[in-house]
Amino acid sequence: MKRILGVALGVLTAIGGFVDIGDLVTNAVVGARFGMSLAWVVVVGVVGICLFAQMSGRVAAVSGRATFEVIRERLGPRAGGANLVASFLVTMLTLTAEVGGIALALQLVSSVEPRLWVPVAAFAVWLVLWRVKFSILENVAGLLGLALVVFAVALFQLGPDWGELVDQALRPRVQAGEAVPTYWYYAVALFGAAMTPYEVFFFSSGAREEKWTVQDLSQSRANVLVGFPLGGLLSLAIAACAAVVFLPRQIDVTALSQITLPVALAGGKIALAVVILGIVAATFGAALETALSTGYTLAQFLGWSWGKFRRPAQAARFHTTMIVALVVGMLVLLTGVDPVKVTEYSVVFSAIALPLTYLPILVVANDREYMGAHVNGRATNALGLVYLVVILAASLAAIPLMLMTGAGA
Amino acid sequence: MSPRLRRGERPFPPDEDLPEPARPAGLLLDARLHLLDRQVVDVDEVPTAIVDDLELTESRDEPRTLLVSALLSGPVLGTRILGGRPPSSRLHRVRWSHVAAVGTVVRLGVHGDQLDVLWVERWLRDRVIGRIPGGRHDPE
Repeated sequence: MKRILGVALGVLTAIGGFVDIGDLVTNAVVGARFGMSLAWVVVVGVVGICLFAQMSGRVAAVSGRATFEVIRERLGPRAGGANLVASFLVTMLTLTAEVGGIALALQLVSSVEPRLWVPVAAFAVWLVLWRVKFSILENVAGLLGLALVVFAVALFQLGPDWGELVDQALRPRVQAGEAVPTYWYYAVALFGAAMTPYEVFFFSSGAREEKWTVQDLSQSRANVLVGFPLGGLLSLAIAACAAVVFLPRQIDVTALSQITLPVALAGGKIALAVVILGIVAATFGAALETALSTGYTLAQFLGWSWGKFRRPAQAARFHTTMIVALVVGMLVLLTGVDPVKVTEYSVVFSAIALPLTYLPILVVANDREYMGAHVNGRATNALGLVYLVVILAASLAAIPLMLMTGAGA
Repeated sequence: MSPRLRRGERPFPPDEDLPEPARPAGLLLDARLHLLDRQVVDVDEVPTAIVDDLELTESRDEPRTLLVSALLSGPVLGTRILGGRPPSSRLHRVRWSHVAAVGTVVRLGVHGDQLDVLWVERWLRDRVIGRIPGGRHDPE
């Protein structure tokens, strides 16, 4: 019974934890401009993150080494260092976007200027990192994030033309008035939103935090393989809501308040309250994960003691890194940049940085010195190679597409 | 340019006499493969440092060989990436005699607390992190 509860909890937190500010913004923007015609990217991204998270979780559980320890050992100081710089900057960018997302969501409740909320949000994130146990911070944020299911409920209440939505999804085409490169730019962005590198740092380091062993592998596989696809369905519901409300009226989504509008239209005040709770929980949870990821990557690369299972004083450099990362993110937001714009860039840069972490994990998951009998099977490797091509293509195409389309303008 | 080899042919005469490699008694370690860039943990399994570089010294007695005298960590990483060599006085050493075992991680037989390489950690703990309320308590 305890086991079933454990699996259920894991699955629920995986669903709630799947959606972050990147998924929220990108799916809504894409839904409003392209309808469901990019739904296939979400599917590709979800299968990819399942594969990637499952591999890195297995490496962490079997070998006891988290992602960046492996990267340093395999790539050495130069290539590993370049990898660290890129991954760290992307994670910082994502952290900034998440903290901005919390501030925007709090603005929706309070009508107080988001820049005033930014320090409050950053302080709250730090306080949780400082005092709350790993398992609690992971589960609470994930479970509250489930409130975003209200997007799916709202979709049913909006009573859309289901045939039209399915048709858009199954026979993708570029909407009239949109350029082909823009379509592909948003395809890359959506892919980056689903497969963010920090998720892998967090997942593999989390496996060490919770002291996973080989016995926990089946449970982690269930969490990933059930939870992430359901989280992907949530992403699709967000896109569909935007497609139903904004696409026919040709309205672009540029603010968080617009993302919640379809839910408010369908369900009124209560639904709006629930969706704001969900957004705060999802962005807060993701802010915790990205802040931890900045500490994890740096500490693992440089061999510091790290982890929430230690007292802060026993992992002083790890905690200092997270504090500095939060302060920098806060200062960036206080300059008045639009958090929605930061989010749009963060997902594209995630796609660019993805091969750097994907390839070392794929290599080590096949290394018998680390993995013993738990190396990748043939099917996993075949899929892994297909995804290596997909990830490389997305990464290489991202910058040319960004320049060609003026970042999707 | 060497002539192309046909399939199945070897690039050396099959009956060539090769010198036997020396077989030292004990564990054979490849410095690059088994030591450099490995995690170092102390006697309580606390991560201490990464082997950023090695200090080699020549042995005094004949035959003269190079011995690993210390694991280096810290700022020496910069010279590992960019090239060059920091002055000997700037190195943070972990004496080789403190190494207890070498596996996927390098294990030390001493407490990390006494080691030079952890001075930044100690400084931040005593001056910053340990002074913030709650910094010395277990998370709840």
